[in-house]
Amino acid sequence: MSAPKSLRLISAFLLCVIFLLALGANFIAPYSYAKQFRDAPAAAPSAAHLFGTDALGRDEFSRLLYGTRVSLLLAPAAALLSTLIAGILGGLAGFLGGWWERAILASADLLMALPLLFVLLALRATLPLDVAPLISAMATFLILSLLGWPSSLRVIWAAARNIRESDFLLLARSSGSSPLRIIARQILPNLRPVLAAQFWVNIPVFILAEATLSMLGLGVMEPLPSWGNLLRGLENPSAFHANPWTIAPLILLILVVFCFQFILPSREDFA
Amino acid sequence: MTGSPILSDGGAVKRALRLFLCKAVWLVAVILVGGLFGATLVRYGPGYGVDERELDPRLSQASVEALRGQHHQNASLLSYYGHYLKSAVHGDFGTSESTQRPISELIHQRLPVTARTVLLGMLSAWSLALFLAMLGQFLRGWIFEVCSTLLTGFLLALPSTVIALLFVYFRAPVFLAVACVTFPKLFRFIHNLLVEAYEQPHVLAARARGIGPVRIFLRHVLAFAAPALFALVGVSLSLAFGAAIPIEALTDSPGIGQLAWFAAINRDLPLVVNLTLLVTLVTVAGNSLADYSGQLAARAS
Repeated sequence: MSAPKSLRLISAFLLCVIFLLALGANFIAPYSYAKQFRDAPAAAPSAAHLFGTDALGRDEFSRLLYGTRVSLLLAPAAALLSTLIAGILGGLAGFLGGWWERAILASADLLMALPLLFVLLALRATLPLDVAPLISAMATFLILSLLGWPSSLRVIWAAARNIRESDFLLLARSSGSSPLRIIARQILPNLRPVLAAQFWVNIPVFILAEATLSMLGLGVMEPLPSWGNLLRGLENPSAFHANPWTIAPLILLILVVFCFQFILPSREDFA
Repeated sequence: MTGSPILSDGGAVKRALRLFLCKAVWLVAVILVGGLFGATLVRYGPGYGVDERELDPRLSQASVEALRGQHHQNASLLSYYGHYLKSAVHGDFGTSESTQRPISELIHQRLPVTARTVLLGMLSAWSLALFLAMLGQFLRGWIFEVCSTLLTGFLLALPSTVIALLFVYFRAPVFLAVACVTFPKLFRFIHNLLVEAYEQPHVLAARARGIGPVRIFLRHVLAFAAPALFALVGVSLSLAFGAAIPIEALTDSPGIGQLAWFAAINRDLPLVVNLTLLVTLVTVAGNSLADYSGQLAARAS
């Protein structure tokens, strides 16, 4: 069931607002995400610290804004890379057929057979412990995108195969169009809705995967904030009772994932 | 009573056997390739070939050389992989670097805990998802659609780690956390499947002829949905095992998931890789069995 248009518009609007707030973190956030106020650890919300401070005295509101930026910039980047890989491989499998198709599909099935979170842990464990926070963030999302393409590949392959067997492609070939022209004028425009749908589907998946990994201490490294490592504040119930704003990253994450669920393209959009 | 169409037809038996063989070959291929992937990670991972015992001043030069020689024997990836496979066939998966205990012993200790959690979680999630999906077919209204979309959407938007934390706060059984993670995906799939099944022409014709809802469900809807439902059992097994890592890690449940997390935190690559292979074996075997049963069910119906 696809969401009503009004709900999709509201979701898109909310996502835009959150995205803009995250982009403007440098200007909106009152402090740097790493700045410590050693005289005010675990402080309650006040005029100086809107959402209070964490156990190390860092401003929660600033960290939330910067964390949102990390999650909302890197998850779409990872989704883009993942969709690109799936698009290239799925497109090749769909158009070339034969052994290419079998080999690509078998490798995708093989990768899908491996339990994602276990493989993520194994790959993440190969990274050195003293890796810089920004590198750890990029590595986390890179690993997610390198492991996340097989599920998209199946969908793109099916669409590409349909195009290969379509009458308009036969007509284009018989009229002497070059392969490059066929790809640019016939194939890519017809694959675009499927690629866009896979891109949107992957973003919340990667946001949630990063949150899970970071909460387990295997994602984005401190002091760089992300929604995942900000959620680690929830592990301490007493800190949560003292400062209810600790739950803000979770509310934002749920809101964003919900919005993504609502704005996902419906079947009618493909028609 | 007539015999099963699968068993009464020699060709069908051959097809079923071929299908089974295909699944078995696939399982072996996944394990071999997964093993190679794991061996590559361990062989080229940080710390391979470094033995802390070499720093022990009590060891003679000859002993240190002997230790180094052990590592040089498996210097190339293929010889390392061959050695690993040979040992694994004999039940020796090596030693955990962080706990200094045999990996097979750790797996033997932890697997029953995870198996119980995963099976109970799957059972709970399946019961609830089937019940609600069937209820949705009998109620058929926008209120049910909105409520179920919001509930499953909310659960899908929660990271499994947060669900685990909620279960720690409320001191609820761990398997229910696994059920909470798998339920929304199962429900959405089963619900859509039942909607599609009820829209089939033969189901509409049966309803028009006044056949009772229970009979329609058992004779026509379930027959249509059975192959996909069987396949979903395999998928749900993968989902439940995936959810076991964060849930067991945060609820302090001594299972495979917690062990994998502990191993990853401690950079114990041999342990992580062996656990990954074990879970791959279990989930691929489960998926293959579910697929095989589903295809047999499809042919029977």
